[in-house]
Amino acid sequence: MSTNQPGPSASFGTPPPPKLLSGVKNIIAVASGKGGVGKSTVAVNLAMVLAETGASVGLLDTDIYGPSLPLMMGICERPTGDPRTGLLTPLEKHGLKLMSMGFISDEKTAVIWRGPMVHKMITTFMGQVDWGTLDYLVMDLPPGTGDAQLTITQTAPLTGAVIVTTPQDVSLIDARKGLLMFQQVNVPVLGIVENMSYFVCDECNKRHEIFRHGGGRRASEELGIPFLGEVPLDPRVTLGGDQGAPVVTFAPDSPASQALRDVARNLIVQLEATAAQRIPLPTLNLTGIGK
Amino acid sequence: MIDEQAMTLATQTTIEPVELKADGPDRLLIVWSDGRRSVFTWGFLREHCPCAMCRTEAEKPKPLLMVLKPQEAQPPRPLSMEPVGRYAYHITWNDGHTSGIYSFERLLALAQQQDTQKRL
Repeated sequence: MSTNQPGPSASFGTPPPPKLLSGVKNIIAVASGKGGVGKSTVAVNLAMVLAETGASVGLLDTDIYGPSLPLMMGICERPTGDPRTGLLTPLEKHGLKLMSMGFISDEKTAVIWRGPMVHKMITTFMGQVDWGTLDYLVMDLPPGTGDAQLTITQTAPLTGAVIVTTPQDVSLIDARKGLLMFQQVNVPVLGIVENMSYFVCDECNKRHEIFRHGGGRRASEELGIPFLGEVPLDPRVTLGGDQGAPVVTFAPDSPASQALRDVARNLIVQLEATAAQRIPLPTLNLTGIGK
Repeated sequence: MIDEQAMTLATQTTIEPVELKADGPDRLLIVWSDGRRSVFTWGFLREHCPCAMCRTEAEKPKPLLMVLKPQEAQPPRPLSMEPVGRYAYHITWNDGHTSGIYSFERLLALAQQQDTQKRL
């Protein structure tokens, strides 16, 4: 635009983005290109395992249209506001601080919103919830590379992202798109998790690779991204999830729980390596210059 | 035109600013993580605001006689420059405009473009 022209955009301005989540040491986005790969299951259980280490952990469900946190954590309460601070108090269960659209909207009501409303709600969850001081905030992202992802990558100081995929090509194609999105906005990809990687039959103890196997590791090698681990199919994951008890508490010794603990351990290693390399970006306050 | 090669380079190598500095009242100095230094005039950056409104406006034919509001007649000055996520900067201008997001790759490409224009 010419600097001499009347500026139609002058009235189109939006306030500068506020500094969000300043009390959180590590913000981890759990994402996938495709829906239904078990992203929320991985996010919930990773948050649980991180909390088991003694860390203070929050879990933010940013899927506005299809929140799954209330069911997976067994919560049907509504969050309350603190009149002194004007902030929403996150709900707490299993030692996690939790927030989700599902705590606010009715279970039987569909949220039919355009992008700007999604943007507003997600920034509210980041800026107007009393998260306090946290070691980790796990953000469970909706599938795809749309409004929610754009809002989060533009406003949250993400430490990095975890990409969840299933082994088959149709999921890997979309996982690569998610990965490229994070690379494009300069968010480090901490690693890939292959969920529903295989199934071990209880009776014959034979391993079945129902959705094929190894696609996640191959993609990580091709793209030079760490591979965080593979999580097997296990009916107890679903059973626990539907009862509000994530599998790491519902069946802590199950192979799926052990695999999720391995993923969390690898994630912590990647987080430490990433944090060591990161320096805050410079800012510039020019109020008064040239007046 | 933005140099596509420069944009691709910035994306692949994640070059980031390590220092922002006002270089006198009219210019901005960016020192990049690979040691490069880019100097922009604020006017050039305002003129190349990447927001949808400014890009649309830039494509329209210019009026012969423009009537400016007082705040629009001032030279463009920034009030602040804050990071957007980990890939861009957001500049608040003295004309009230705030919606442009200058990605690192765009800033690198604009630096090249400005240098080319100076040489011509």
